[in-house]
Formats: sequence, structure tokens, C-alpha cells
Amino acid sequence: MNDLVVEARSIGRVFQMPAGPVAAVRDVTLQVRSGDYIAVRGPSGCGKSTLLHMLGCVDTPTSGALHFDGRDVSALSDAARSLLRLRHIGFVFQRFFLLPMLTAAENVELPQSEAGSSRAARERRTRELLDYVGLGARADHRPAQLSGGEMQRVAIARALANTPRLLLADEPTGELDEATGQQIAALLDRVNADGTALVVVTHNDSLADRARRELLMRDGRVEREIAR
Amino acid sequence: MTAWATLRRALPMAWRSLIRQPARASLGILGVAAVGALLLDMLLLSEGLIVSMRDLLARTGYDVRVTATEDLPRNGPRLRDVQATLSAIARLPQVRGALAVRFADAAVALPHDATLDASLEGVTGNAPHPWHVLRGRDVREPGEAVINESIATGSGAGPGAALMLRADCGVGTEALPPARLQIVGVAEFPFALTNENTIGATLGTVMAACGADGADQADVILVTSADDADAAVAAIKAVRSDLGAATNEQVLGRIQRTGFTYFQQISSVLTTITVSFALLLIAVLLTVSVNQRLGEIAALRALGFSRGRVVADVLCESALIVAMGGVLSLPIGAALATVLDRILKRMPGIPAELHFFVFQPTALTLHMALLAATAVLAALYPMHIVARLPIAATLRDQVAE
Repeated sequence: MNDLVVEARSIGRVFQMPAGPVAAVRDVTLQVRSGDYIAVRGPSGCGKSTLLHMLGCVDTPTSGALHFDGRDVSALSDAARSLLRLRHIGFVFQRFFLLPMLTAAENVELPQSEAGSSRAARERRTRELLDYVGLGARADHRPAQLSGGEMQRVAIARALANTPRLLLADEPTGELDEATGQQIAALLDRVNADGTALVVVTHNDSLADRARRELLMRDGRVEREIAR
Repeated sequence: MTAWATLRRALPMAWRSLIRQPARASLGILGVAAVGALLLDMLLLSEGLIVSMRDLLARTGYDVRVTATEDLPRNGPRLRDVQATLSAIARLPQVRGALAVRFADAAVALPHDATLDASLEGVTGNAPHPWHVLRGRDVREPGEAVINESIATGSGAGPGAALMLRADCGVGTEALPPARLQIVGVAEFPFALTNENTIGATLGTVMAACGADGADQADVILVTSADDADAAVAAIKAVRSDLGAATNEQVLGRIQRTGFTYFQQISSVLTTITVSFALLLIAVLLTVSVNQRLGEIAALRALGFSRGRVVADVLCESALIVAMGGVLSLPIGAALATVLDRILKRMPGIPAELHFFVFQPTALTLHMALLAATAVLAALYPMHIVARLPIAATLRDQVAE
């Protein structure tokens, strides 16, 4: 398998606003390889989430080129990009976005079902993942019956459901207290240690400090990259 | 993924989404049930009278009606020289039997100088009488009569009793002498109005009761064709081009043009309104629901759910609401139709056996088709919202909120 997961070459994203065009991301060049752990930091509105969305193929650059697994993302149809995300990219959101009518297990099964996994394979993988995030005993609980930290762990299990090459997390500890945030950070460490490339957008210093590479953004540009 | 596979996966999600919001789901289902019931009733009403009248016309066994003009019986002039006309028609090879019928109003004498208004039918000819004997026997001789249940109850008379009546034959103003009739049976008259008192007798009896007024006249000649009503009408017109002869379908056409059109127009307007209400109700419910879940939907899209899949979720949700509401609308619609039928039948001049709401498979099929179209049309706007949802912008907005 190609070691290079995502390659961004001078990508930019301009939004057409009523007051005129706004450049959210400018001229960012970045390579994400298997096993990478990258934290993206910067003040609010500096373009961190927009960069994350472009890396996750939910948004397309208005300039530059973005390749995922060697494929030019801008050349892919919406359906092909959906399939790419389903099979190779996992997302963890600040507000979890678990489906409230489904149990923890059903939330984790959902992307597998969409990917066409058999029922037996889905059940096995779901059990594994819930055990992995420490929620094997809460499989039948609905999101409303879980704490914030538990919901985020279910969301991480859901993001890992189809064994993605890249896991993107947008402020994964943003809604959690310090102690719970540390548990999530430890879980993300483990996910990365198990081979999944990880890009995390965060304001949380202790979470960012765990990454091996840190991108500091300002005004849509990567101002500085710190390698550890 | 095929569309079928997408829908199969979307259906359980839509079901759970409905269960998750029972108040919203109940509101939608009950709303669809209410408008679905009205829709069903309007569809039954649009053709009900025609179907019921056709059934009523066919039930008596006559398939051709002959009148003096193109008017419906009792709405135009009477047939004259009826015995000769009846004989001429009955002799035609295309005719199996013919029966002349004369209608008259009558006042039945009751004890203590009280009277009972009644409708008198006098018949003659070689076709079966247009009533069905329930008790006793049918009339055979002049001076005999059958009465309906209403008059039997109202006068307390039955087979074997005598009935004194004074006819009003609609010709002249001279008071006619009372006539004495021997009751030989109690019968059911298919075209009797609700609570109408009806007496059946021979044409001779009615003519005698009418005295010299309108002798040898009848309102209609009922004909049973040999095997083809159209051929019988053609044969009658060939020998008596001055008369109005019509098959049951032609009579229905005349009735439809003169009276039933209003009901069809009303039902068309109300059908359109009820379908529009259903459309708006479901569209609003789904749109609100989708707008409440934009974050979840954007997250699913980010996780790799295709545009078609999230659109299918909305469509399935709409289909489930409409399907459940549609099923519920059937018993509600049937109950409502029974009540409305009773109310409408209180209108004057409506035969008791005629129904405004008649169940027909075509109405049910149309009901289902209209509801299915409603489900799809109502889902169009929320499906459009979901299909056009900008994933990244929505996720950003949800966090900002």
C-alpha cells in the first residue's frame, strides 16, 4: 500500500460571500503518511476546520491539487468521493453527531452496513470496536444514556468501523471536561499507534502535544510546522 | 448500490426516525389519516351516485325505459294511448317484456279522519312488477294492492285489510271519489324515497282511482330486452320515433347531466383541497424534521453516506407516514361515508335505496395512487434540502451554534 495517504499541493479555499470572496485556506502544502499524527492549531477562523474538511474530501479546494491515495480528489464525482470517505476516511466531530434513535452498537454498525458488510462481520467488528473503546458493556445504550466522553468514544468507534486509513478529528475534546478529554486523547493515541493516520484540529494544548507534527495556522496559511 | 438496495437500507432508518419522534410521527399519521379519509370519501362520492343508480336501475330487471319525451319519468308529459303503445312495443322481437307504469299521489284514509300521503304506482304488461313482495302475494286483479312497510306501519294495515284512498292524478282540479283497495301483500319498492308510503296496483286500479283524469296514460314503459338493450331501443324508435327510448346507460347519462354533475364537481374540488392539505402537512413535518437534523445528516454524509442514501431516508420517512396514515384513513373514511350518506339521503326526492358513497375498487386504487403521489411530492422539498446540503458548511454552522 502507498505510504502517502493524502497529499495537498498549494491548496486554497475561497468562499464567495455577499461582501466579497473570503480566502479561508491559502496555499497549504501538506503530506499525510500512514501512521502520521498531526495536530492543527491556530486561532478561531484561521482555516483549521476548512483544511480538515478538504483533507477529508467533504470540501474541495478552489486552487491547488489534492490527492488521496494517489487519486485526484477534484476529478472524483460526488458519489465517488462519498465512497472514498466511507471506505478510507473516518470523522470524529466536536458534537459527536451520533444518531439518537440508534444504540451505541447500531451507530457503529451503520457505516459498515452502508459499506455492504455482512451482518455477522458487522456484529463481530462492532463488538471488537466497542471493546476497543471500553464500551463493550454499553453496546445497547442509546446516546442519551451515555456521558459526553462515552458518546465521543462511540463516535471514534464509528469512525473506525470501516478500518479507515485516515482519521480526522475536529475538536474531539471541545465538549468534554479536562479529565474526559485526557481519556479521549489517550484513545486517539492508541488508534494512531495501531496504524491509522490521524489529523486533529484542536485548541487543547495537551492533545496537540501528543501529535508528532503540529501545524500552526494563521489567516488561512500554515505559519509554522513543528516536528517532534 | 442499486436504488432498491438503498431504499432497503433507508427504510429501517426512517422507521426509527419516526419512532424517535412519536409526537411528530403521530401528528403526521393522524393528519394523513384525516385527509386520507376525506379523500376516500370524495372519491367514493364522485362516482357513488352513478354506481348506486346503475345498480338500482339494473336491480329491477329492465334495461330500456320509454317515455313521451327525452325527459326522465315524472319530469315530462305522460305517454298517451298507452295500451296500444305497450302492445306495439311488447310485440317487437327485440323485446322480452314490457310494463307500463303510471304514478299518482294519493291520500290514504286513516281512522279519525286522518290521512296518510302516499305514492301510487299502477302497472300493466307482460314484464315482472317493479317491486319485490315481502309478505302476502302480488296483485293480480283490479282493486288489489301491495303496500310498502312504511304504509303498513303507518296505517296498521296488512294483507287481507282494505285501504281507502283518494288519488291526486295531477290532471284537473276536480276532487276524485275515494277508491277502496284490497291489500294482498307487503312489498319493497326499489325507487321509494326514504319514509315514503308507496302503494302498488294494476294500471286499471290507478286509472279507476283517477277517474277520467288521464285515462290510458302512463309515465313510463319499462322494457326488458331480448338480449341487447341498444337493439331494443333501435327497434322501439323504428316503430315509435315520437317516443323517447333509452337504455339504462343513456338514462344514467341524462341523470348525470342534470343532477349528479354537482356532486362530481364538489368532490373534484374537495379532492384537490384534501390532497393539497396532505401535501402541505407532510412537507412541513418533513422539512422541520430535516432542519432539526442537519448536523446528523451532514455527519452521515461526511462518514460516506451517499447523497442518494440520505435522500432515500427522507423519502422512506414520507412513505411510512403516508402509508400508515393511509391505512388508518380507510376505516375512518368508511365510517365517515356512512354518516355522510345518511345525512345526504335526507335530501328530498332521493330514493331510499340510492347511496351517495359506494365502495369501488377503482376508488381505492385511485386513493392509494393519490396518497403515493402525495408522499413523493411532499418529500421533494425536504429531499432537495438534504441533497443540496453543503457538508462542510453545515458541520461548521452546527459547531458555531
